[in-house]
This record gives sequence, C-alpha cells and structure tokens, in this order.
Amino acid sequence: MSYLSLENVVKTFNKTEVVKKLSLEIQKGELVSFLGPSGCGKTTTLNMVAGFLEVDGGKIEVDGKPVHLLPPNKREMGMVFQNYALFPHMTVFENVAYGLKLRKVPKNEINTRVLEALEMVRLSGYEKRYPKELSGGQQQRVSLARALVIKPKVLLLDEPLSNLDAKLRQEMREEIVDIQKQVGITTIFVTHDQEEALAISDRIAVMYEGRIEQVDDPATIYNHPKTDFVSQFIGEVNHIQGKVVETYDNKKCKMHFFGNEQIVSIPSAKNSEVHFFIRPEKIQISLGVSNERNEAFQTKVERKMFLGAKTRYILRIQDKHLVADISNTVLNPSQIKEGNSVYTYWNPEDLLPSRMVR
Amino acid sequence: MQAGIGTEHDLLLQQKKKNLNRKRVDTWLLLIPTLGIFIFFFLLPLFFLFITSFKTFDASTGIGNEWTLQNYIKFMSDPFYLGVVWRTVKIALLTTLITIIISYPVAFQISRSKGRARNYLTLLVLSPLLISMVIRCYGWVILLNNNGVVNNTLLKLGWIDQPLTLLYTELGVVIGMVHVLFPYMVLSIMGSLEKIDHSVIRASQNLGASSFRTFFSILLPLTLPGVFAGSVMVFSLSVSSFVTPAILGGPQVKVMSYLTYEQVAVMLNWPYGGAIGFLLILIATITIIAYSKILARSEKGVAIQ
Repeated sequence: MSYLSLENVVKTFNKTEVVKKLSLEIQKGELVSFLGPSGCGKTTTLNMVAGFLEVDGGKIEVDGKPVHLLPPNKREMGMVFQNYALFPHMTVFENVAYGLKLRKVPKNEINTRVLEALEMVRLSGYEKRYPKELSGGQQQRVSLARALVIKPKVLLLDEPLSNLDAKLRQEMREEIVDIQKQVGITTIFVTHDQEEALAISDRIAVMYEGRIEQVDDPATIYNHPKTDFVSQFIGEVNHIQGKVVETYDNKKCKMHFFGNEQIVSIPSAKNSEVHFFIRPEKIQISLGVSNERNEAFQTKVERKMFLGAKTRYILRIQDKHLVADISNTVLNPSQIKEGNSVYTYWNPEDLLPSRMVR
Repeated sequence: MQAGIGTEHDLLLQQKKKNLNRKRVDTWLLLIPTLGIFIFFFLLPLFFLFITSFKTFDASTGIGNEWTLQNYIKFMSDPFYLGVVWRTVKIALLTTLITIIISYPVAFQISRSKGRARNYLTLLVLSPLLISMVIRCYGWVILLNNNGVVNNTLLKLGWIDQPLTLLYTELGVVIGMVHVLFPYMVLSIMGSLEKIDHSVIRASQNLGASSFRTFFSILLPLTLPGVFAGSVMVFSLSVSSFVTPAILGGPQVKVMSYLTYEQVAVMLNWPYGGAIGFLLILIATITIIAYSKILARSEKGVAIQ
C-alpha cells in the first residue's frame, strides 16, 4: 500500500492541459524526484500536492485519505521553497517556531523542538539571527528545519538547491538526504538538475509535457531509459543510425554502422533503418586496432577538450559527429592530437534503441 | 627610473580623482533649479515668517518692531485655539486611520492583478487626484447637503426621519479628505506589497496558518513600512489642508490652516498667523516622529530587510 498516491491528476491553465492524467505511487519514507525541463509540469504537480493549486481532475491521497480538497493549511505537509521563503521579520527561532505556535504547542515544548530541529540542520546558536544575516545555505537549512519541525506527513522540496553555488549545492543535497533518511519522511524533490536527481533519489519520475515518462531507480533510468525523451534528457547521447543486414530468430540482428558490422540484440526487420543512442562515455577509442575489435572504424579527432578527470573528443566520421568522453586514466590525452585518426568502437549492449523515426 | 614611473602613476591617479570630483559636481549642478526654487521660494519666506511671528502687531499701525513671545502665548493659553488644535489633529488622525483601512484591500487587489486590469484599477484609484480640489469638494456638498443625495435617499428608504447633518461637520470634512488622500495610501502600500515574495505567504499557509492569520502575522508586518510612508503623507497633507475643511466644514469646523488664513488674509495680523502656522508645523512633526517611534518598535526585522 503506497503512502502518497496521485491518481489521474489533471491541471488545466487557459484550456491547455499542463498536467495530463498523472498517476504515481510513493511508498512511506521514500524520496522521489520529479525531474524534467522547465514547463514539464513538475512544479505544478508539487503545488497541487501542497494545495496551492486545485486539481482539475483525479485525486491525491495521503495514507489512504483523500487530501486534494483540503486547503494548504490543513494538509500537514512541510515545504521547502527555492528561494527559502523565510519570514524576514522573524528571527531564526521565530521562523522555526511559527508552525508549532499555530498548532498551540506548549511553550516549553516549542522551545525544545525548535532547538532540536536547529541542531539537526547544524544551526545551533543562530536562533536570534534574522534571515538576512544568514548565507543562502544557512537560510535553506532554516527553511528545512521549519518544514520538519511540525512533523509533516510529506516533505515537499521545490528546487531547494538551485539558488546555491555548485559546491554548496553538493554539500546540501547530501545533508538533505541524510536528514530525510534519519527522519524517515516521505519526500518529493522537484529538480531540473539530473545529476542532483540521480545522486539522491530512491526513484526518479522523469516528466515531460505534463506526463511521467518513466519512474524507476536512478540506475535503471540511466542505463535502461524507456523512452527517447528519457535517453536524451538524462545524461548526454550520440544519435546514430544503422541498417539491418540480417536477422536471427527475430531476436538479434546484424547491423551496419559506418561500414562495420555488429550483432545487436533487438528484433527488427531486414533492411530497415534503426536509430540508436549511445552515451559519450560508452564510446571507446584507441590509436591502434586490437584484434578482437574488428567492429572498430576510423574517425578523425576534430576537437579535444580537457575536462579534468576525463577528456572529451569530438570525432568526425563522414558527415556525422560523435562525442566520446574518455577517462584520463584509461587513455592519456597527450597521446592524441587534434587531426589524428583513431579507431572507434563500442559494446553492442551499450546501444540504446530509439523509437525515433526520421 | 622607478621614481619616474611612480610620479607618472600619481599623476594618473590625480587625473582620475579630478574626473571623479567633476562628476560629483555635475550631478549637483542638476539639482540647482530645484534647490533654487526650494531655497528662495520656500525656505527663505518661511524664515522671514518665522521672524515675523515674534513681532508685535497693532490693528492701527500694523507690524511693530519689538520682539515678543505674545503671539505664541496667546495661542497656547486660549481654550478656543487649543480646541482647534485638537480638532485639526483629530481629523487628520481619523482620516489617516480610515484611509489605511479602506486602502489596504484596494492595494492588495491591484498588486495581485496583472496587465490591463491593473492599469485600469490604478487609474481608477488615482482619479480623485485628476479633478480640481474645489470642484470635488462642491461635489461632496451636493451629496452631503441636508437636501442632498445621501439624505434624500435615506429619507425615501425610510431609514431616517430627519435629514442627518453631514455637511459642516467633522465627519463631512473627514469624508472629503479620505476621498482625496486615499490614492497616496494605496500607492504606498502597493509599493511594499509588491516587494513581498509570494512564496512567503505560501510558506505561512503550508505551516498551517489560515488566510486571516497569515495576514496579521506575515503580510501586515511586512508592509508596515508602506503603511507608515502612506500615513506620513496622508497625515501631513490632512493636518495642513485648507480647501476641504473650508468648503465641507465651513466656519463651524475651524482647523489650524483656516485660522492662519483668517489671521493673515482677513485680520492682516501676519505675526499671529505666522505663529499659528509654525505651531502647525511643530505639531505635525511631533506626531510623525512619535508615530515612527512606535512603529520602529514593532518592525524589527523589516528594517534589516
């Protein structure tokens, strides 16, 4: 039995459906990310869960009880906003205590619970400060403490890290997961940053144009994308196409890529064109041909970019470009110069078949 | 060699400083017209009036040459004049309070609306300022008269047996004043409402606050600076207003600016008129300072923001 469930949720703005019959089941204590480009409906969905927007169809249930008709102040959900949304005229203590005061919690209990919450986000001693006297990261932690101190049923995080700088973002996301696991709270995390989603989620719901394209754990999303959108949105991909020259048992077929033959396990008709995606880090290159790699073909290095741990090579074959990311420990980038010819190959298992028709 | 470079560097620095100074002078030059008008047509006459207010006056010989405090003493020791002071301040405070109450919802609605609706609403709010003060006041005379629209309607509806005296009362003056001055309050509250991040209101609701609670705990405290700015404007304009009380209050509702006018234009007693004028300025200033002190105590974090 899932803890938070969305069932055929619909939202319409000016006759355009921005969320289209969206259904999702979230287990208790699970952290699910809504990941997608801007305008995909992820924030709209979150706002419907929080109650800031009314649902135009379908229902939302928490712990078996429908909540989609309740006003936001009756839903018992804690929310952390992108721009922190702290009350500027209240101290850190008053900010965190706000929700408890509204619940008529006795004064000494408020005191202990606020101090506990601030300790959890490592902000003990900051009680008397005003939000403007804190850094962005500290403000976001206060915001997290404020949301959690009321012991909400669900924690909603609306792009909480996007206003922080890169290093802090990484630190904060680890902290958020630590706290989330420690409290064991069911959480929805909205983000447009795929790295963030991959790093912290139990499951990711990739959204596109008001629909969930795929819900799976991060590794499945990355390695076995179900739709073209997911393969292209999560990570980077090269787009290649090949021709089927022979088929075996309707399970495997021999394909032609850039004049080379390769056996790929997909069912396909003979002579048809098949499109694939392959991730830059799955393409391998070498200066010489190794014997077992008879599928390797020659490409020309057009550009080389040093990216620290890895080097990105832009390879040219016929009129196509391929992007390959090679770890610098595997291949020393100084061996390869721009304009060199290199042998290029990949494992057929790393090809992600596409449904795209061009 | 080293020294040569050093002096060259110094020269460059000096040049830069000169340019900077010139820029500062330039911006000050732009202020000259305003400053000129302000100093020669406002501050200087005010200063002369201030001096005159300490001179003696005789109905037959005019302004005397001796120095005296008599003008101020006369005013402060006369219960009639003190009554006028109290009435003036009372009308101004009442006007300010009523404008705050009626302007807040208007400002809130406008700050929430967008595009064309917003422009029209703003224009509507500003409309009282587009009509001449005198014409607008006579409009109110027609409405508030014993035989006017308001009384006739109420009589026809049978809600009252006798016409209410609305005209030439403090209430009439307050009504007229609120009408002219509420745009200032609306604009000022709008300014601070717009600075509020909408997610702060959502955060409050999310934490369990009703709309009512959110207003008093979050929205109102955060817009106090705007309410204050608007109050200062409305209060100082109403405490010193002349036309509205003169037309809607008449001789029955005398306010300080009317007294000043009487002394200066009718009695030609400039020293006494000047003294009343300065007491008015003093009272307005004290009230505003007191008000801001009270407000500063309740603001706290807003100032930091």
